[in-house]
Order: sequence, then C-alpha cells, then structure tokens
Amino acid sequence: MLRQPLSRALALTSPVRAAPLTARRFADQVQAQPEKVEVFIDDQPVHVVPGTTVLQAAAQVGVEIPRFCYHERLAVAGNCRMCLVEVEKSPKPVAACAMPVMKGMRVKTNSDLTRKAREGVMEFLLVNHPLDCPICDQGGECDLQDQSMAFGSDKSRFTDIHFSGKRAVEDKDVGPLIKTIMTRCIHCTRCIRFASEVAGVDDFGTTGRGTDMQVGTYVEKMFLSELSGNIIDLCPVGALTSKPYSFAARPWETRRVDSVDVLDPLGSNIVVATRTNEVLRILPRTNEEINEEWLADKSRFACDGLKRQRLVSPMLVDSRGNLTPVDWEDAIVATARALRDCPPDKLLAVAGDLADAESLVALKDLVNKLGSENTCTEQYFPLEGAGIDLRSSYLLNTKIANVEDADFVLLIGTNVRFEAPLLNARIRKSFIHKETDVALVGPKVDLTYEYMHAGDSASIVKDLATGTSSHAVARRLEQAKRPVVILGAEQLRGPEGAALLAYTQQLALKLHDKLADKSWKVLNVLQRTASQVAALDIGYKPGVGGALQGGPRVVYLLGADSGVVTREALPKDAFVIYQGHHGDVGAQIADVVLPGAAYTEKRATYVNAEGRAQQTLLAVSPPGKARDDWKIIRALSEVVGERLPYDNLDEVRARMSEISPALVAYGDVQDNNYFAQATALAQSLQKSLSGKLDVKLKQLEDYFMTDPISRASPTMAKCIQAVIKQKQSPY
Amino acid sequence: MLSSLRTGVQGLWRISSRSIQTTASRQHDSLFVHRDTPEDNPSIPFEFSQANQKRVEALLAIYPEGHKRGAMIPLLDLAQRQSGGWLPISAMHKVAEILNLPKMRVYEVATFYTMFIRRPIGKYHVQVCTTTPCWLRGSDAILNAIKQETNCEVGGNSPCGKFSVSEVECLGACVNAPMIQVNDDYYEDLSVEDTKEIISKLKKDEKPKPGPRSGRFASEPLGGLTSLTEEPTGPGFGVQDALKA
Amino acid sequence: MAARETVKSACKNVRPLVSADFCEARRRALGLYRAIYRYIPYIVKHFDIPKSEEDCRWKLREYFYRNACVTDIRVIDMLVIKGYMELKEMKHMWQQKGHVMAHWNPTLEPKPYDFIGKFLEGID
Repeated sequence: MLRQPLSRALALTSPVRAAPLTARRFADQVQAQPEKVEVFIDDQPVHVVPGTTVLQAAAQVGVEIPRFCYHERLAVAGNCRMCLVEVEKSPKPVAACAMPVMKGMRVKTNSDLTRKAREGVMEFLLVNHPLDCPICDQGGECDLQDQSMAFGSDKSRFTDIHFSGKRAVEDKDVGPLIKTIMTRCIHCTRCIRFASEVAGVDDFGTTGRGTDMQVGTYVEKMFLSELSGNIIDLCPVGALTSKPYSFAARPWETRRVDSVDVLDPLGSNIVVATRTNEVLRILPRTNEEINEEWLADKSRFACDGLKRQRLVSPMLVDSRGNLTPVDWEDAIVATARALRDCPPDKLLAVAGDLADAESLVALKDLVNKLGSENTCTEQYFPLEGAGIDLRSSYLLNTKIANVEDADFVLLIGTNVRFEAPLLNARIRKSFIHKETDVALVGPKVDLTYEYMHAGDSASIVKDLATGTSSHAVARRLEQAKRPVVILGAEQLRGPEGAALLAYTQQLALKLHDKLADKSWKVLNVLQRTASQVAALDIGYKPGVGGALQGGPRVVYLLGADSGVVTREALPKDAFVIYQGHHGDVGAQIADVVLPGAAYTEKRATYVNAEGRAQQTLLAVSPPGKARDDWKIIRALSEVVGERLPYDNLDEVRARMSEISPALVAYGDVQDNNYFAQATALAQSLQKSLSGKLDVKLKQLEDYFMTDPISRASPTMAKCIQAVIKQKQSPY
Repeated sequence: MLSSLRTGVQGLWRISSRSIQTTASRQHDSLFVHRDTPEDNPSIPFEFSQANQKRVEALLAIYPEGHKRGAMIPLLDLAQRQSGGWLPISAMHKVAEILNLPKMRVYEVATFYTMFIRRPIGKYHVQVCTTTPCWLRGSDAILNAIKQETNCEVGGNSPCGKFSVSEVECLGACVNAPMIQVNDDYYEDLSVEDTKEIISKLKKDEKPKPGPRSGRFASEPLGGLTSLTEEPTGPGFGVQDALKA
Repeated sequence: MAARETVKSACKNVRPLVSADFCEARRRALGLYRAIYRYIPYIVKHFDIPKSEEDCRWKLREYFYRNACVTDIRVIDMLVIKGYMELKEMKHMWQQKGHVMAHWNPTLEPKPYDFIGKFLEGID
C-alpha cells in the first residue's frame, strides 16, 4: 500500500495548503519552526523553510515557473522537465519542482539559459505531439498550448513529417466518462499519480519504454473510481477529455457561473459552464475547506440529467386520471383549493433531497399558516433525546478539512466512499500522508484504503461506548489523540436508530473527555442529502413515518423523490401536490404538478453536512414554465388567502435569518457545542442493540444514481452499465 | 543527379534554421497493450510449480518486509521460465497476487524490460545480435541463414513452433562477433555453417555446445596471447636499486 | 418687493400663438373635433380598420377629454395644430393602417406589478 512520508507529500507543504493548516494548528501540535533559509529568486530574497522546492519558493515571490508534471496535490514526478531553471554555480539547469532549496541559492527564472532550456523541452514535447489543436477539446484551456505560446520557439524545425512522422499511440477505453486520445499524451503521469494517490485505484501506469512508452491501463479496463473525472482537469493536454462534453463547446464560448453542488451532502463548490441557456459541463471550484480542487463524478457528469425528464409545465389530473399540462393559473387555483379545503391536521408537507432552504422556509411558513405542523423530510433522524434541538447532533462537527488532522477515524455504518466521495478522499489523504488509521463498523466495503473492520453488528458501537469491548479498535481509540467518529445518518432509520445515536454520542463524549485539546470535535453525523441539514435547521421533522399514520388528505411533496411517500401508504382520496424539477417518483403519484427549478436554475441556499450555508447562483433559466421554488409557494399562499410576507429573495433571506442566522452566513461554519448535554438527554435511550448495520451504496454501480437528476442522466446510466460490464471482465 | 538536385532544393528552404536532428524512430516489434488471445488470456490459470514455489519463497526471503516488491523481477523471470520462455498475463497476475501489488505495477515492469516476452514464442528463442561489431563481422549472413533454416521471420515464430527469431542490440560479446543467443546460451564466432549446424541440432532437440566456434576458450586473442605470455613478475619488479630494501 | 415681482411675472403678456383669448382657442378646438368627427366614416372606410365608427368616436372623445384640463392658450393652440396635422396625414393617406390602429395599442399589454401577476407572467 502506498504510504509516503510527510516530506514527500509536497501537497501539504505548498503555500496554498500551508495557510489553512497553520490556521488550524492545535495546542499540542505546535512544533519548533525550523530555521528558514534565504534564497534568491531572480535576485529577490525570500525566506523559506528547508525542504521547500525551488518552484514553491518562486511561487512565494510571485514568480510562476512553467510546469506540466508538477501538481500541488500530487507527489513530485519531475519528468516533464518544463520547470528547468538556471541556478548559479550549477553546471546544468535544474528541475525546479524536485530541487530543494539550499542556503544562498540564486535562481534565475528568466535567464538566457533558462529560456533556452524551456524552449528545448517544449520543442521535444512538440516533436511527438500532434498538431490537432483545431479538433482537440482541450483547445483554449490547454497547458501545452499556453506554454508553447509563452515559452516555446517562434518557429518549427520539425520537418520529418514525411519520413518517420510523429509517434502514434492507440487510444484506450477507460469508461464512458473519459475520452482518451493517447497520441496527445506528453507523459506527465499526473493521471497515474492521481489514480494511485487520491483515487486509490491503481489502474493507470506507463507501459513500454523509450519512444514506445505509453500511459494507459495495459489491459482493457475501465477506470473504476468515483473521482475519475478529475483526471480530465489534471491532464495538461487533450489526452484525457470529457466524453459527454466532447466537441460541445470551446471554453471561451461558455459563460461560467460559480455555484454549489447538491448531489452529495458535502456541497462541493462548482463552476457551471453554460451556453445558450444550457448547462454544458460542471467543473470543480477550489475550496480548501470542502472539496480542495476535486469533484466527484456524479456531481460533475450528472448535469445532462438537467435536460431530461424535466417538468416544464404545470400539470393537473384530468377526469380520466391522466396528468395534463395546464396553465399556472389553473394549477395554482386547483392546488390552493385543495389546501384550503383540507383540515389542518390532515395536511402534510414532505421535503425532498434537493430542496433549497428558501423553499423549505416558504413551505413551512405556508403550512404553519394553514394551521398544520406536519412538515417533514424524507430522511430519518431520531427525535428522541435531544433530537434535532441541538445542531451538533446532526452535523459533521469535525469539519471536512479537519478530518485530515485526525489520527484515528471510526466509521459507523457509512460507506463514505460513495456517500461523500470527497470526504473519503480526505480520509485517504490522511491515511497515506499522516499515518491515520481507519476502522469501520458496518458492512465490509472497499474504501480504497485499508481499515480495521470491527464487524457489522450495531452492538459493537455499544461495546465501544460502554468500554466493554476488547476489540483492537477499542484499544486504538483509547490511544487516539484526535479521534473522529463518523456515523452514517442512514443507520438512524430503524427502531434502534435512537439508541445507536445515543451510544455514538456517548462514545464521542468519552473520547472527547480524554483529549488534551478540547477544541477538537469528535462526533460527526454524515447526512445523506444536500437538503437535510437546512431542513432540520428550519424545523422540519425528520422522517415521514408518523405523519403518514395520520392519513393525510393533502400531501405537499417538495421534490420528495426517494419513494418514501407512496400511493399505497396514503388514503385513497388523498390529494398529492408535487413540486419539483424532474418527472420522477414523486411526480408519478401526484394529482397536481408544479414545475420548479433545479439547482443550476435558481439562486438558492443549501447547507452542507458541516452546517455551512452556501448559495447556488442562477446559471440558466428554468425550462418552459418552471419557476423558482419559493415563488411557487409564495404565489400559492396568496391564492389560498394566507399571503406570505415576502416578495423577493432578500425578504425571504431576511426571514431565513430570523429562523437561523446560520442559514444566511454564506461560506461560514460555526463550531458546535453541547455534546455533553445531547448525550445526557439521550442517556435514557441507551437500549440494547441487536441489529446489523447495512449501507445502501455498497458498490460503484450503486453510486451513480441516487437522486432525480442523476436518475435522469444518460451518462450516469452508461456509467452503471460500464461498471457492471467491467465487473464481469477478468481484469 | 536527381538526388543532388533534391539536396539543392532542400537547401533552399532549410537556410533559415538548422533542422532538428532525429534518427528514424523505430517502433518496438512487440505491443505495449495487452490483447486477449486463445494462448494468452487471464482465464488461463497459472500456478508456480512445486519446485518453483520453493524458489519463490527463497526469493521473497531475500527482501525485507515492506520491500517485497523488489522480488518482482526475479519472480517474473521465474514465471517466464516456467511457462516456456514467455510471460502470460495470468503469470503477471500471479506475481501481483504474491507481492500484494496492483496488477498495473507488474504490467509496468513486465513491459519495460525487453527480456520479458509477452507473446507465445518457440522453444528456442534465437536472438541475433546485429549491432555494429557483429554486423561488421557478417551478422547479416548469419541472420539470413537462420531465417532460411528455421523458416521464420524476425519477430515471429517458425511454422513448426520450435523457433522464434529476433534481432537484438548488443549482447556484450563483441570480441566474439558475430554471435547469437539461444535461450540462455551464447554461440559466438559464428560462420554460416556453424549457424546451420546449431539450428539443425536444435531441430533435433540436441544441445549444441555453447561458446566460441573459432576454437577459442573465451575472448582471448585469436592468434594466441599477445600479453601475459610469461610468468608474472613478483613484487619489486623494475624498482630503482636505491629504493630496493 | 418680491410680491410685486410675482404679480409682474403673472401678468406678463405672452405673445399669442394663434388665438388671442380662451374663447377663440375653444372655438378652434371644437372646430378640430368637428372636422375629425366628420372624417371618421372615411377613416373607417379608407383604412379598412377592424373598428366601427362608434369605436373611433369614442377614441376621439378620449383624446379630447385627455387634454380637457389644458388651460394654457398656447398649448391648446399647439395641440389643435397637431391634431390638424394628424388629420391631414390621414386624409392624404400619408398614414397607413398600422398608424391608425396604433391609437388602440393592440399589442401592448399592461405589465403586472404585483407578485402573483409577475409570477404568472414569469417576470422576475
């Protein structure tokens, strides 16, 4: 298994990473700062810690050295030679990315020798690089293109095209997401390093040698990773490009809108590239606190699901029981009539996985105005004990970035790899670079790194909490200086959920009491969906079970598509209102359909699993007659006769801040407390645990379709097919 | 005449810059991707034989814990010997399994080294050195003779399936040029007749005597020793009288 | 002092445009009304507009009532002159059907200002 000493993990000492790390330094972590050495970059003095490379030192004074193979978050390879610089008293130019600084070193990044070296390297790279930029998808965002403009020669000496020509390499098939044109490859090996270090799927490598060397998988094999799309971003040339986006647009034609992903609970920061009111692709946006610069495949490639299965017009059930498109007026009036005629205790509102905070607030306000308290979410969370009163009980309190500093991670009933791929990437990072150990209680799954498997019965958590366990995990937890316990919210659904949470809280508290550093948070609950935290903050009741028992007459589904509410569970004459953006499970059982906007089509607030509020921005306008979700509810309220007191987004957000200031503190996340109180309240719930923990997403093929958007995406469907096909292959 | 014209014309448009010097890029005769074939696919099982199993353990014992992957090349070589001079993909998988490594890491090594042959070859792998010293001493004739005798093209297998011929770079026996290597044995100082005799013996599965064919023992001069012809002188030889003890 | 200035400016005689006093201006306005009123049957006929004579008369009334509050003689005169110009343009067929119909603004719809109106229209 790949485990590198800290010094080799240059990603962690880069200036970009250094800032948040120093900010997060803990009391017992203060280490003696080694004496800094002075080096001169283009005669500018700079003081850096020993072990810094020339390239990083140059970056500190704002001198950017061209590079292809070097990447801040990957190990140093030093094989492209583009970063050659002249160092005084050195006979040859040195590779800046791999050369540690030495005292008094004088680096010249713009001398004749350096320029000549770069020009030479560039020439050699281009000797075997096809000149197919006009038909290459990387054109416009290609490092090779840019750097050959900046550092290459002004003319070509390549005249050999009629004799031996350029090297040609056959293309590889690595699945439905990544298109390979291997002739363009310049052997930077970034994809290989990403696959083995970050993704943990050692399927890429170089085969052959010399001019025959090629990057690939040797055997026909799909890149079975949930982070595979990132190698497209990493590839400095057009060798690895996006298959769904191939030949779609040039980067300068697209409009880029910063937004937030909602397909997993982490709320990765994204850039939505649009053209002619159409989402073309989604790229990650760097956010050190959440997704670094990676993005999971579902978040990246499910965007074509935004164009399919969409609800574009309001629909109403006609006399024959079929949904027929109608005008907004008719739909609203019909909905309002149903809401008005419904006895308050028979009205139920269910919020789905992708609902934004604005619409959640509006819906709850409306339902409350109508006299009902039945607002709930699809995902369950035990209400016994402290329930959702204390925010710390249902959040990732450690925070995503801090998981890197943990020295022991205990996962309870969660397959982090597929529930929150980028959190798993963090855990893997600390596993590799920092000797963090991981243990799992739950079904044995492939997390891409080794872990201690404690078993899959829930009673193990009880044993760990009460200290009666003699398992190796218990001993390891005792010794941990910064332990992290992550409980999958999925496990809280059953009748033993409350007890499991109670024991997990007790375990976390027990671990916390022993810590020298009291600011370290131990307890984490990993929610499954993007809407859950906001819904709980606003005051939705988790889970629909109880509410369905009451036999509701009118059910308002706000994008509730996970199939928790079914026709069978409702009384025969129940009137179902579905508001959402995709014709999925919810719309099928509806009597009236109100088309809403998807996350790329509205300015909306989402709170991620850490409790960090972030907002999406309007990238494209909603299709057809679809409208902003909160506006639909606001319009409805007026027709019902219970007008909601907000007419624009700012007023809605003002209302949100009345409910919880955290909902509008964008980008900010607060420290949570009251762990002891929550545990105390849950004391009475500690009953015996007998069940087995099971997770829904076990295999890669389970990962791709989990919500209405990805279920509508043809790319995701292809992924599942490809993964299943790959599983049957002998490789 | 025409060629000089062409040179002159080329000279006209080359004046502005010196043309980059490239040698003709020659592609290797083997593929660097795997293709499933009836002879070579992962569903064919591979296991080390009893005897080799012991060798595997001995090899692994050489390398300290945590560095077991150092045994990869010896293990691959062992697997190649066991499977008849070439390395099937299932053998690579077996080695990966033994070393607990991703398969790709084994593929990387197996494709890097040219002595790992990843296609089925004949019982006798005839490697003809055609690098300059051997070439000057007539390796072309040797190669032709071998091609004729075995009825086998360079880089291919003979129809009888017994021979494979490849052209290789210097094997380090330039003093005894021209030479060929058959499996692990060197046959040196060859003439065309010698070569034919070697091949005909191999056809009958007899083992020809390895080594130089010129009557030399090894790489000593052909016309007898030119140096070291007498008893070596003892210590103090040629030292000034004044410095003698 | 200041009061005297105000009085002075108020009594300041302005040069009349056409009419000398209000009665004269009123007479001219009525003359225009009559002229257009009489020409309405021809408008309906020549321009072949989907409006009846009655509609046109109502439109005419509407225009005159819109300016009923105007008391400044010079403004009244100017409006009358403009009215005659419009009439002349129609009489000589300098205006087309579209120009005439534009008085009814057939394509203009009122913009909603309330939330629900804007919502139904899909205006942000």
